[in-house]
Amino acid sequence: MSAIFTVDPHSGVPIYLQLIAVVKRSVALGVLAPGEQLPTVKQLATTLTVNPNTVARSYRELERDGVIETSPGRGSFVRGNGSGSASNKAVSDVAAAAIDGAVREAKSIGLTRADVAQLIDQVLDRWYPARDGQEAS
Amino acid sequence: MTEQFAIAVSGLTKRYGETKALDDFSFMVPKGSIFGVLGTNGAGKTTAFKCMLDLARADSGTTLFEGAPLTPALFERMTYVHERPALYGDPRVIDHLDWTRRTYARYDAQRAAKLLDLFGLAPKKRVKNLSKGQQSALALTLAFVTRPDILILDEPASGLDPVNQRNVLDLLIGEAAGGATIVFSSHQIGQVERAADRVAILHRGKKMLDGEVDLLKADEKVVEATFENDAPSVNGLATDPSVRRVVRAGRLLRAFVRGNSDDVTRHIAALEPKSLRVLDQNLEDIFLNAVAASDGDAAAAAADLEG
Repeated sequence: MSAIFTVDPHSGVPIYLQLIAVVKRSVALGVLAPGEQLPTVKQLATTLTVNPNTVARSYRELERDGVIETSPGRGSFVRGNGSGSASNKAVSDVAAAAIDGAVREAKSIGLTRADVAQLIDQVLDRWYPARDGQEAS
Repeated sequence: MTEQFAIAVSGLTKRYGETKALDDFSFMVPKGSIFGVLGTNGAGKTTAFKCMLDLARADSGTTLFEGAPLTPALFERMTYVHERPALYGDPRVIDHLDWTRRTYARYDAQRAAKLLDLFGLAPKKRVKNLSKGQQSALALTLAFVTRPDILILDEPASGLDPVNQRNVLDLLIGEAAGGATIVFSSHQIGQVERAADRVAILHRGKKMLDGEVDLLKADEKVVEATFENDAPSVNGLATDPSVRRVVRAGRLLRAFVRGNSDDVTRHIAALEPKSLRVLDQNLEDIFLNAVAASDGDAAAAAADLEG
């Protein structure tokens, strides 16, 4: 279970943001199921050898984002998908972060907005091919 | 107001002759956190700890533990491990534990057995026959068996092999998760980056910066631009308070930015660079930049600096 969680403490990305991303991605992919219990802050901190307050911060933010819920004394759990909200939110967050990174990279090497839009259209055509004259969705 | 802080150090200054070993060093450690003091050799880390504990008399400054000056009663609940632990050579490992048991009411025998096992310390071995690393491990064992609320550890993982270095970090993390407050010094950035939630960077007795490790990383960015020809000088960049320094090397321009980098990025983008990106900085980058930007590397830093 703890094997799901990995962080790179030496990265310039704050550890708590890395942990949030791992949990969101795991929820989006179904590796963490709704209702599943997360390790305690102490367990995860010692497993990863990272500061417990850092782990606690990522749990707080995940709770605020509606991805997990924590009940005192019982632990932290992936939010149940009564409305599918936890996993829908996680899916869109993961996708948004990936697209944001790609566009930022394209901009950084000097592409114009039109260049990027054209590239994205090409990528969309590849992954969402229109079939039988029907608009891809 | 300071009671939420297990330790509050304020304006600590210590001179040895003409040298200021410590210059107005201040930091606050909230209860239950791990505070890393990071610095090169001779930066003043050991002096700071000695002054905090009154083992060396500070020329000025105060240290409060749980809101009050250090009292003998507090020593029952706190521990200090020197970077070169003072242990007796002839007595055995078990003798040292025995003395600790008789001195500290909170001595935890179960934990002692666990730690001996963890570090591979033979109870009947004489201390003088232990390796340097094992002696450090024994000193840490003696500290942890008293279940202290406050731990001050000077280079706790130095001399240990990588496995035991990790064991020590995990011990610190377990203690902090249980509510203990820890201050430790290290010149190994990786240890501080993992275990500490807060850090102070000390250089030549002066605090370069301090704060939460994750927030420092979120806060410190490099805006990097490349140009068709030599990087132009950028008006106003050097005087922008959010810019720590600007480095130009041929067609490359790097601005080290603290806080929101959007304005600086826009400013540089207006010069129509060929490429422009914002880079994250890890603690090593932040540490080296802080040191380079200080008087330590004044000549090199000045040469790089925008006019």
